[in-house]
Amino acid sequence: MGAVRAEFCKLKRSLSWTVVAVLPLMAVLTGVVNTVVSGPALEQGWHTLWLRTVVFHGLFPLAAGVAVLASLLWRVEHQGGNWNALMGRSTSGFAVAAAKVVVLAVLAAAVQAVLVAGVLVVGKAVFGLPGVLPPRYLLVSAVIVVACLPVAALQSALSMLMRSFAAPVVVAVAGSTAGALVVLIGHGPLTAALPYALLTRATQLGTGVFGDDGTVTAAGVAVLVAVASALTVVVIAGTASLLERRDVH
Amino acid sequence: MNTRADRAVDAAGTTRAVANEFAKMRRLRAAPSVAVLVTGVVVLSSLAFFGADPAGTLHDPAARPWHRLIEGLALAAALVSPVLLAVLASRQVDIEHRGNGWLFQQTSGLPPGRLCRAKFAATGALVVAATALQSALVAAVGLAAGISVAFPAETWLSYTAALVVINLVLLALHTVLSACVPNQLVGLGVGVLGVFVTVSGSGMPPWLAHLVPPWGYYGLATPVDSVHSGVVDLDPHHLSIAALGVVGGALFLAATRLLDRGEA
Repeated sequence: MGAVRAEFCKLKRSLSWTVVAVLPLMAVLTGVVNTVVSGPALEQGWHTLWLRTVVFHGLFPLAAGVAVLASLLWRVEHQGGNWNALMGRSTSGFAVAAAKVVVLAVLAAAVQAVLVAGVLVVGKAVFGLPGVLPPRYLLVSAVIVVACLPVAALQSALSMLMRSFAAPVVVAVAGSTAGALVVLIGHGPLTAALPYALLTRATQLGTGVFGDDGTVTAAGVAVLVAVASALTVVVIAGTASLLERRDVH
Repeated sequence: MNTRADRAVDAAGTTRAVANEFAKMRRLRAAPSVAVLVTGVVVLSSLAFFGADPAGTLHDPAARPWHRLIEGLALAAALVSPVLLAVLASRQVDIEHRGNGWLFQQTSGLPPGRLCRAKFAATGALVVAATALQSALVAAVGLAAGISVAFPAETWLSYTAALVVINLVLLALHTVLSACVPNQLVGLGVGVLGVFVTVSGSGMPPWLAHLVPPWGYYGLATPVDSVHSGVVDLDPHHLSIAALGVVGGALFLAATRLLDRGEA
């Protein structure tokens, strides 16, 4: 718990809130602009609005945003003599790696919360849609946050290994491109093995695009959550092992 | 007033500075970043093309398979370029923020603005080559897929030239931004947010796309669009893109001259 608190302290004066607020709001704004200016009306109400905001957001801006946040979280460790302080402290490598992922998970949850709030507000205020966002999209949002975890863990590992702020973002863009390809060709095992593909798959859940059948079933959600959790644990364990055995500076 | 000899010394200094930037790239992993840019665009273009099941259209001039492919290229370039150009510029400039390279270079006779111009010349050469390569590779994908319809060389080349101009303006913007703001979060954040504008830009009315340079111009350069009846020709705004290049170049020169006058 102390390690998590320390990570939040390090973020206090950073600009992480801009990513958390601006990234999802830009996704919502893009959906609104596409609909108001040029796109056809929202034929299926909330579903179409969700499709126009969340699906594109999940294609790769979300992974790039998580990568930027991971770089931000590790940047402090690469500055000055902080790496020696990190190596010399009594906290275990696993606690450090896990604490970074916990903080990234909280930030990813905040990104998704802002996105859902934005969709709700524009759905009611701009398009006057009836009712509220169907509850299944809240469930999908929770799945998206869980699917962010392996990407967060992997990006955290990359940001630990690379002193560069930008290089891990390149990997995230490349990974997202590969992820989109894997999801489009519908390769199940590869989708499960590649964190970026898993995240893309989660953002398409229940939309009926990219090979999705348009339904949200308990079994489908359980499989996604189980695979994402397992991948996260494996990547954190690998990161901790590297941190314990190798001085990357 | 500069004499001819002074100008010759300046030119030699600039050439050396650009060569130095290429030397710095070796350790900045610029090549993998450019490879991701090219591969990402080619893969996403192919995805967009083959995702629409083009098997029955490859030999049908009315179905315009090459135009469908260039539509995929336009979408892919708009998706991938903003982030990777931000990364390229950011990494090339960030090296000077670490260890106060600005001051070191200035004492060696290379003020910050001129250094930025050298960085732009070096990374710009890579971007021009990468843009031409990705365009050629996407055309090669079309040939490999077996498209037998006549290749629309004029459309393809003019779109590639427009893409080169927009990419260079975006690179110049990120070079200046990274030089002025050491926090890389800002440059990369602008790059990620730019993706939303480029993707919206393809559907925006032209007057609105003109208001968000340079990202909105990816949409203005697109020569085709898909509608229910098939692929239709658009009127690419080549004059606007040329103006973007001229104004962007002038602003880049002005901004870097201002940097020359500042303290490193």
